[in-house]
Amino acid sequence: MKKIQDRYKVVGVNKVNDVYFRLVLDAPALAREVKPGQFIHIKVSDGLEPLFRRPFSVFRAKAGKVEVFFEPVGKGSKLLAAKEKGDILDVLGPLGRPFTLPSKSVKQVVFIGGGIGVAPFLLFSDILLKHKAEKVLLYGGRSRAHTFSMAGFKANGVKTFVATDDGSVGVKGRVSELFDKIDIAPTTFIYACGPRPMMATVAAFAREKNLSGEASMEEVMACGLGACLGCSISTTKGYQTVCHDGPVFGLEALVF
Amino acid sequence: MNLIVKIGTAVFPNPVTVASGTFGHAEEFYGQEEVKRLGALVPKTVTLQAQQGNPPTRICETPAGMINAIGIENPGIDRFIDEKLPKLKATGVPLIVSISAHSEDDFALMVEKLNAAGGLSAVELNLSCPNLQKKVLVAQSAEATFAVVRRVKEVSKYPVIAKLSPNVTDIAAIALAAEEAGADGISMVNTFMAMAIDIRKRCSRIGNFTGGLSGPAIRPIAVRMVCETAAKVKIPIIGMGGITNADDALEFLIAGASMVAVGTYNFVDPRAPLAVLDGIKAYMKANKMTDIRELIGSIRR
Repeated sequence: MKKIQDRYKVVGVNKVNDVYFRLVLDAPALAREVKPGQFIHIKVSDGLEPLFRRPFSVFRAKAGKVEVFFEPVGKGSKLLAAKEKGDILDVLGPLGRPFTLPSKSVKQVVFIGGGIGVAPFLLFSDILLKHKAEKVLLYGGRSRAHTFSMAGFKANGVKTFVATDDGSVGVKGRVSELFDKIDIAPTTFIYACGPRPMMATVAAFAREKNLSGEASMEEVMACGLGACLGCSISTTKGYQTVCHDGPVFGLEALVF
Repeated sequence: MNLIVKIGTAVFPNPVTVASGTFGHAEEFYGQEEVKRLGALVPKTVTLQAQQGNPPTRICETPAGMINAIGIENPGIDRFIDEKLPKLKATGVPLIVSISAHSEDDFALMVEKLNAAGGLSAVELNLSCPNLQKKVLVAQSAEATFAVVRRVKEVSKYPVIAKLSPNVTDIAAIALAAEEAGADGISMVNTFMAMAIDIRKRCSRIGNFTGGLSGPAIRPIAVRMVCETAAKVKIPIIGMGGITNADDALEFLIAGASMVAVGTYNFVDPRAPLAVLDGIKAYMKANKMTDIRELIGSIRR
């Protein structure tokens, strides 16, 4: 897989809602190469603070533009939120192992996104436009402030269901409240991305119901290239790096 | 312009290399021609048996630096020789293989395996990894350093480089012990023992509780240590600690290092070593130097 280091112009940074931001880069080479579940590693500062790049899952790649979706919570993402149109960013990517495409026999594709973890699934639904399976998005957010327009998903023929912790939108509770939308069948395939406890819940559910699926994992990361071995997580094959062996792992391979 | 540097009988085309443990999988990222520009390649430290490494969280970012406690995750010397060494040799870049062991005999056994494998330029003894649950590092004792280097020199067909820890009062004294034992070069410095605390959870931000600090934050200390050591030993030094660009590397060369290694900054910009090399050449040209030896140890006192 081709790995590129290049500098791209910021097309815009805008607020998606009260919490989430979207960064758009003019990056035709990246847009061509990137696959759902892969990330791009952005140098957010020209100086040494923060030192490391920040990894972002690609939300959309269309017409030469690459979009990432993020919540400015730390030093790096706050700097990114303050970028302006015309700024130039040094980016490595696309990096990491992408999601496996569902086979033709899959009849239901279930995207499970927790908070900002929903990011890879819009790009994924773009790519699956011609796949005949029923596509479902189960989205879990903390509150109304963490929800956003599902229009992009709906336009791609994805049925969307929302749960919020406080019940301000959709069903009250965790995203697991929406698991009744999942067909318990060998022809169902789950793709999950979200916080670690959510991933544990999804993996346990899949194991119990004998469902197949994959999860895109998150961990503090330095190089993004599999060099530092800093982002390793426990798997059934021992420690594996999120950046290079993942971020996508089979649900059955994860050890919580 | 002559950039060739020698450590013992090993010859390196230029003084720029990478610190052990910071350059894995680079072959997937670098073009073949780019890799060939490096003065030497130093893969991640290998141990006798495979090690799975420390539990997460293994790294945390600190001001202009990072703390790591990876725990030398590696496949063990036999699999390294079978699976990784052929690819590294195929690059054509001089190889310095970094090894670590729990005893002098284990060090010697590993070197014998590397002797048989062939194709190395030098062996680097990692005497200073602070993440192995041992209270004292070899590189914290002049006697232990002497003993390991002496034992390895008895068997090694390659030049031997001792990688030292900065977690000592007098690093030059340890370097002298290595030199007396026959070391052909010194590599310095490894990471500084450190910790960072998550004040919300009141726990260490590193799974191993403590780790090693690296990155630009440590550079001035590393430069001072190289300068002190270069004044005392005759063998060449590979200087490292927070190098991000040519200016940083030049400090180490002027302080007395014969080679420089980019470490942590490879995680930010994997092409940094190439920029360092270009910058050193530009500096030499601007200062009308034709040989790297004019630069090494040129500090004015």
